[in-house]
Amino acid sequence: MPVKGIRTVASARNGVGAFILQCKRLDFHYCNFWASSRGMLNFLTKDLPAFAREHPQIEIRVSPRPAKHPVIKGHYINGHEKAICVRNLEPEDIMKKTMILKEASGDKLKRTKKPVTSVNESVRGIWSPYHGDLRGV
Amino acid sequence: MFSRSILRSFTSELRFTARSSISAAPLPQRACLHQTSWLRTTQQQSQSQSQSPNPESPLGATPRAQDTQPEIQQGSKAPSTPTSTSNTIIPQTRADVPIEKQPVAPNFDTPLEITKSLMSSLPHLAGQTPHYVVAELHARPYLLTAGDHIRLPFLMPKVKPGDILRFNRASAVGSRDFTLKGSPYVDERLFECRVRVTGTESEPLRIKEKTKRRQRHTKTAKSKHRYTIMRVMDVRVKTPEELLQEGAVVVEDTENTTKVEARS
Repeated sequence: MPVKGIRTVASARNGVGAFILQCKRLDFHYCNFWASSRGMLNFLTKDLPAFAREHPQIEIRVSPRPAKHPVIKGHYINGHEKAICVRNLEPEDIMKKTMILKEASGDKLKRTKKPVTSVNESVRGIWSPYHGDLRGV
Repeated sequence: MFSRSILRSFTSELRFTARSSISAAPLPQRACLHQTSWLRTTQQQSQSQSQSPNPESPLGATPRAQDTQPEIQQGSKAPSTPTSTSNTIIPQTRADVPIEKQPVAPNFDTPLEITKSLMSSLPHLAGQTPHYVVAELHARPYLLTAGDHIRLPFLMPKVKPGDILRFNRASAVGSRDFTLKGSPYVDERLFECRVRVTGTESEPLRIKEKTKRRQRHTKTAKSKHRYTIMRVMDVRVKTPEELLQEGAVVVEDTENTTKVEARS
């Protein structure tokens, strides 16, 4: 049996070559009767068309959800979903929430301490005590 | 009674004078320490005094930060290292940011000077492919290679997902066997490090319980910071031919020039 090398699968590194926005779909749910949807209704009629025109890569769905608070849901390329309740919010605040969903990566929120995460091998290699010059102390 | 009242008035006077003398002594020092706020307040006062009868423009529209900027520059520059005296930039915005964290304006009025030793050793560094760079952003080092994922410890203002930034301040650029160390920074025309903004992320909600002694009440402080996430597109050292094409000048070696250090 011939020896086979270990197969490596290229990991997705969005942004190195091409850049794809991770948010693929935004759902806007509203209710026609509840007062908590008032700002949302304003937002849908006033600001949403311009937002949709600026972001042709995002699919936007608007649907009623009677007798519930208004909700924005973001769907991401990695299959995750994020929802933000926007009850009693003004159109400007709803715009901010929409931007949060648009710019999110879709990953679960994590607390990290290191700013840089790398999948590359160490550039300078691993230190070895048996190689290199002897150094005086 | 009479004498006592006199005494009391005298002592109070003494106390007053003593306090005034004490408070008068550290005042200039304080003014030096908090020079920005002091200057700003005095300027505001003078502005409001001059403008109060007939204000031509609202106070918010007057460029206060720009007016105060040169004063802050001189004040904070005097004790700083000689490196900052070489670049004589006066940033017009962001007066609240300390001088060592200010962005550096590109200084391209003189051509890049390369010493002969650097010219001879640079091809070795440029030829060895995987490169790393220690890029500095707001006086913090980030060791980057191509394809890395960065989550900055802050939310970078005025960037959108998809924007490309070029990091121009690096303290070291290197490959497996060679390192070009800057003193304190490598000239930005010697290398390229491009970074793409991919979006913003946030941390999970942190809840801190604040308690006081002998109180049943506990206050909960919540925080949920947002961070900018980025991806390093490329890290590259320019070859001597490219540098000469871009107009670099070869000069003789001097004592403290940037050199490529080989690994021992």
